[in-house]
Amino acid sequence: MLSTFLSQIANGLVLGSLIALIALGYTMVYGIITLINFAHGEIFMVGAYGGLASMTYLLPTVITQRWYFALPIVLVVGALVSILVAVAMERFAYRPLRNAPRLAPLITALGVSVALQEAVRVFYPGATAAIPFPDLFIQGTLIIPIGDGVPIRYTGILLIVLSLVLAFGLERFVERTRMGRAMRATSQDRDVARLMGINPDRVIVLTFAIGGALAGIAGVLYGSYLNNINIDMGFQNGIFAFTAAVLGGIGNIRGAVIGGLVIGLVKALGGQYLPGGTAYDYVWIFVVLIIVLVFRPQGFFGETERVRA
Amino acid sequence: MSATTEAPPAAVAAPAPPRHTGRLAGLMNAVAPRARLVAIVGGILAIVGSQLPWATFVLNEGAYPELATLPLGFTGFRLHLVVLGLATIVVAVLRVPAVHRIVRALGIGATAVAVINGLYITAEGGGLGAITASDGAVAFGAVVALIGGVLIILAGAAGGVEPRPELDWALPLWIEWILLVVIFVLMLLVVAAGLTSGGQGGVVNPYSGAVFLSFLGAAGGAFAALNASGLLGYVATLSERHRVFSVIVLLVVALGLPLTSAGTEYWMTVASNIGVYAATAIGLNIVVGLAGLLDLGYVAFLGIGAFVAANLSGAAASTIGIHLPFLLVMVISAVVAGIFGAIVGSPTLRVRGDYLAIVTLAFGEIFVRSAQNNIGGLTGGANAIPNIPAVAVGGFKFNDSITIGALRLPSGVMYYVLIVLLVAGVMLVFGNLKNSRLGRAWIAIREDEDAAAAMGIRTGPIKILAFLLGAMLAGLAGAFFAHKTGVVAYDSFRFLESVTLLAAVILGGMGTIPGAVLGASILFVLPEKLREFSDYRLLIFGLALVLIMRFRPQGIVADKHRKAELAEIPEDAAKEGPGPLPTSVAP
Repeated sequence: MLSTFLSQIANGLVLGSLIALIALGYTMVYGIITLINFAHGEIFMVGAYGGLASMTYLLPTVITQRWYFALPIVLVVGALVSILVAVAMERFAYRPLRNAPRLAPLITALGVSVALQEAVRVFYPGATAAIPFPDLFIQGTLIIPIGDGVPIRYTGILLIVLSLVLAFGLERFVERTRMGRAMRATSQDRDVARLMGINPDRVIVLTFAIGGALAGIAGVLYGSYLNNINIDMGFQNGIFAFTAAVLGGIGNIRGAVIGGLVIGLVKALGGQYLPGGTAYDYVWIFVVLIIVLVFRPQGFFGETERVRA
Repeated sequence: MSATTEAPPAAVAAPAPPRHTGRLAGLMNAVAPRARLVAIVGGILAIVGSQLPWATFVLNEGAYPELATLPLGFTGFRLHLVVLGLATIVVAVLRVPAVHRIVRALGIGATAVAVINGLYITAEGGGLGAITASDGAVAFGAVVALIGGVLIILAGAAGGVEPRPELDWALPLWIEWILLVVIFVLMLLVVAAGLTSGGQGGVVNPYSGAVFLSFLGAAGGAFAALNASGLLGYVATLSERHRVFSVIVLLVVALGLPLTSAGTEYWMTVASNIGVYAATAIGLNIVVGLAGLLDLGYVAFLGIGAFVAANLSGAAASTIGIHLPFLLVMVISAVVAGIFGAIVGSPTLRVRGDYLAIVTLAFGEIFVRSAQNNIGGLTGGANAIPNIPAVAVGGFKFNDSITIGALRLPSGVMYYVLIVLLVAGVMLVFGNLKNSRLGRAWIAIREDEDAAAAMGIRTGPIKILAFLLGAMLAGLAGAFFAHKTGVVAYDSFRFLESVTLLAAVILGGMGTIPGAVLGASILFVLPEKLREFSDYRLLIFGLALVLIMRFRPQGIVADKHRKAELAEIPEDAAKEGPGPLPTSVAP
């Protein structure tokens, strides 16, 4: 009993830190330009495919067989691919609509999402079905000796640690650096920020790039942990991440991480203990999403209720 | 008979050609003084091009249609080109009002025909060799027609595009009525021709997509030209003036589709499916177009209606096993869907804008997941609910064919009649709602919710009512859908379907009836026609969504109020980027 519970907690934490990584991108973009970037989930997906492509087609076996070479390279490639797509998306899809009414960018985001998903399905060899993804970290499972033993894979541990480190680093970046200050200024008032000598376009591009990088890393780690990737992974996990971002108070970095962990736990524990089992674990997340949006749209850490037109 | 047209600008003695700036300015300024001449030359080239051979040999996948390998022929796209070219020449010679605007539209049509056919021939026929000369025969049809088309566009653009003339002829009543009947019948024929052009597509008929697209290009150009001349606007005024009459005529004409070339079982099925999505899109239009509430899980209501109907139809797979008459089933489906609509809409009391969109998306996903897991044994899960019996009145089954004297109507025709009546009913509901107190309240909420509340509109119940009514219309369509297709599976109601419906509403034009129908038709006919691109369908769809939002957010048929709302916000439109500082700061 206890070890089942604890291993579900472990599963939840792994999934949760993954979702947190994606949620950071959502929360930052929303914080800066109040856009629900629906296509952010696809950025995550593209990163996974980019990483896999470098693994399958680019790197020699000398490297792919040694995880300490392969892992950093694949992570970087995944992040780069995601950054590229995210920045291009901002430039060509969202920037022309920056002064358009609210519905327009949201619908554009839907279009970008569908297009990216389909582009991968059509052009990536074999992407019509799930593709196996190699484990990029130390193989095997750590058994934490509590009760009957709580198994957690080393890749899962890597995922948790890396997510927390990246989130912490991002928070330091936003709080402590000049560029971070420019981001906060732009998010508060773009026009005044411009008067203060900040170039909002650059800040927005940087925001998309950082969000893309984190999503790309998350994509590679996702593949490495679950050992297969498919084109639907972006949409699903994107919605989870959005839920997490709202749950934590959108625009708030720490909130996104905690929201992500909560969502991960809800999915893992809900699938174990709530009626319907794993077939309904998605449903519970959506229920949480609805409840949060209806009763506490500012989330855990949101300060004031946004008046949203 | 009095003509209150503005004086045609061409009647003014030698209007000064406009000066162009920007890209291509030099070329445009060179063409401007002799724009009409260039247009005439372009028209002649288009006609000449149409009569040259287009393909030099029988292509990889069989002969290209419309005798494209032979010189001289007046069928299919060649006929379209001749008509477009002749029209250009006539318009340019006669100097009708808004000549350049018309010419530009015609040129776009001719260019589209040339490009589409040329591309297909080169792409599907084995490279450029298919379109250029070989064994002495000249096969430059596509090239010549393309040059002609581009010249016409150039002439139109360079000559200075005039504003659209507003025609307002007052004719005797009976002439206006006859005009309307004739126009609607012509429209029916065009629709039937468009629907059937190129045939069914697939392996047997590899070039059906080309024929259809080419037809679409030609028809689009012709319609744009009619629109530019103000004639289309006149027809709109006319039908507005005789509203009831035109609605009746339109209904009768729509029911006449089985009598045209589209009167086969296949096309009846296609038309019925379009009808289902058109009815659903109109329902969605209440929520999105009128009340301005973005619903990303709307197809769930179609699904709820369909599953309710499936369970009450006496299908063997349904666990309830009740068989009720179809009309009753429709009512129950609509009511159940409406109840769910109210539930889904209830968060609107607290949630606004894109958060609301996410809530509706979440509801939609919950529906799909539940249906996939066969919740309560009601949805059949992955097995779906198959073998739903056809609608039967007395001993007559709706999917039988009908024989009236010598006239044999294809099977499925009764379903078509039913869906036409259903869509007409839904349109009626929508039209009346839009112009009612309730409709005005919705529009007020869409424009500014707080201001609407301040004006005494009870925004909460009224927003929920939008969801409820929209969901009921979808539920009606769902009941029909269940009986028509005979099988209801959760797969038909995924998120992508919601997005497609939303795209139909947006593409057609939010808040308008013709827009929703047009959008649904386009989005559900195109995949049917372009089977060979089915791999790229969604990719193109996604990109199209992005492009529409970028270049024509108001859709094809723009709503008058909506147009104003979607205009860019001027105060924020200050120059982006590291330019000079804006002179005024947005409040």
